[in-house]
Amino acid sequence: MASPRSYKAQKLIERMQQKLTRQMVVSLSACAHCGICNEQCHYVISHPGDPTYTPAYKADCIRKLFKAHLDWTGRAVPWWVGARSVYTDAELEQLKDVVFGKCTNCRRCSLNCPMGVDLATFNRMARGLLAYVGMLPEGLAHVSKDQWETGNQMAVSPEDYLETLEWLEEDLQSTYNDPSFRIPVDKPGADVMYTINPREVKFDPRSLSQAATIFHFAGENWTMPSEGWDMTNFGFFTGDDDLAAALPSRVYDAAERLGAKKIVMTECGHGYRSLKWEGPNWAKRTVHTPMESIVVTMLNYVRSGRIRVDKTRNNLPITYHDSCNLARSCGLLEEPRELLRLICTDFREMYPNRAENYCCTGGGGALMMPEYSSRRLQSAKVKAEQLQATGAKIVATSCHNCVEGLLDVISHYQLDMEVVQLVNLTANALIVPESPPRISAQ
Amino acid sequence: MVSTSPLLHFAENDLQLIALSFMSILYALKIRWVLRFPASTDRQPPANPSLTDGARGARYSLLAVAMPWTIGSNRRHPLLYAQFVIFHLAVALSIAMSFAIPYAPRWIAGSMVVVALQVLFVAAAAVGIVRLIRRTADPYLRAISSPDDYFALIMLIFWFLFAALAAPNHGETCRLIYFLLTAFFLVYVPFSKISHYLYYPLARWYLGRTLGHRGVYPLKGA
Repeated sequence: MASPRSYKAQKLIERMQQKLTRQMVVSLSACAHCGICNEQCHYVISHPGDPTYTPAYKADCIRKLFKAHLDWTGRAVPWWVGARSVYTDAELEQLKDVVFGKCTNCRRCSLNCPMGVDLATFNRMARGLLAYVGMLPEGLAHVSKDQWETGNQMAVSPEDYLETLEWLEEDLQSTYNDPSFRIPVDKPGADVMYTINPREVKFDPRSLSQAATIFHFAGENWTMPSEGWDMTNFGFFTGDDDLAAALPSRVYDAAERLGAKKIVMTECGHGYRSLKWEGPNWAKRTVHTPMESIVVTMLNYVRSGRIRVDKTRNNLPITYHDSCNLARSCGLLEEPRELLRLICTDFREMYPNRAENYCCTGGGGALMMPEYSSRRLQSAKVKAEQLQATGAKIVATSCHNCVEGLLDVISHYQLDMEVVQLVNLTANALIVPESPPRISAQ
Repeated sequence: MVSTSPLLHFAENDLQLIALSFMSILYALKIRWVLRFPASTDRQPPANPSLTDGARGARYSLLAVAMPWTIGSNRRHPLLYAQFVIFHLAVALSIAMSFAIPYAPRWIAGSMVVVALQVLFVAAAAVGIVRLIRRTADPYLRAISSPDDYFALIMLIFWFLFAALAAPNHGETCRLIYFLLTAFFLVYVPFSKISHYLYYPLARWYLGRTLGHRGVYPLKGA
């Protein structure tokens, strides 16, 4: 007779059967336990001798539930195929430790699996199951709550947001002695609606200021929305599909409300992926407004001559860290490189790079889970070695989470490097024209 | 013409057909079950249709098994990849041989063909033994192995050995055991991780379609 199941465990099992997609089912069924994924994972490399970090082991923690309830052999002879259900909250806590604390959903294992098993997809599903029964890491729960209630992950009030934009505008007018310098808000019919990471309002407005500078000198007809300006998505990290759908929808609604012709996104890996690719799927809506990363926008400005740059202003050796979401889930690989070659003199690749790059260890919401910090920083060893091998003084990246993740890596492993984003480098290389730019036609 | 006893004739023919039909029915039910789950699709237009798209990504993904340079582990461990090729080639040819022996014995009548098959099957059995040792000795593999993983390997090792003995197509006992093992294999695989080959095209198709649509596949540089 089966052991009695806790309420949460029962609800989790019921929910699992509703959340499975065909892709997840084939991924859960296809694993041949070959172990090839092992050496692809930064957690495994940096925790030698501990098999509980291997992608296949982590996947099996979820797979055994699937087999116990949905696989023929798993239901008939569970011990034969490693099937096992969950019965207690303690077992759910163990699962939480794996899916939140031992995986950043970086997808490096997925791309190296001979079978095409996509662990990140069903790991996110498992996170969502735990979120559904209220078993989220505290940090993620807090930020998710803030995003639900305020529309942004840092609970920035509308007043604070608008005031920040105002003083940034004033600061830029003063810096460039140009009263026409604007950070427009809710301008209807703009060619570009710019969306940001709330970190840029709360902690480091420098990147927002620099983006505004670039837009201004490119003569861009742009605006920021008063609502729907947060392009990040903690539903992405927690597996909460309702939150994951609601947040991008606010951005899409803002763009429609303003009649913006294009949504341009700040440099944020998960935010870009969420807004451009996953958001429409979660929200079940096709978004007709084109969306692009500001990296592509800046590249086009430089290529077309809308802004002129002096690459010698960025003359330290610079390497580029490919954000997992941009590289392995969005294909934004060559544009950052092309831009870097235009705005700096000594760009050098790290190896491996592009879709085979190693995770910064800050992804998947890891930065909001301090209970796993020591494990995360140990897993960053391979990243530190990668950075060090380049001999670069600067690591550029197009992701705010990667900025924080890499800062932690650099600090922990005492590397002599700094972290920048491409907007910082572009702004630094920007040649300010003598006469104010004309705003491009509406 | 090679003489066969009634038992061997049954094992070569009717038993194989029964086992194959059983496997096919179960696989059809499995596929139907998989297809009942909703498939995720991308609503947004492809990232870079002039360079790649879902179809191209899916093709690239399906062919990845034949392009070892596209997967980092295969580049670093060519010997492991070679083992994979030998093992799976032997599976395919052993299955083909189970049809050739009763229905087209001329295909395996030539001595060079027989020797080549035997070399392949023995090599595959050796690979199986190496894999078994690795799965038992390597703590990473041990941690993810269930009894089915070990049994599948052991069964295939014996199957390859008897395939090597059956390849000359004479000798009652070896052929009988080979065909009994083949029938057992066919009946067992739908309940085993060996059926990963059924899911392989689906998993690779869906992953490749998504990553091609988004401009990740085919992979560039490293």
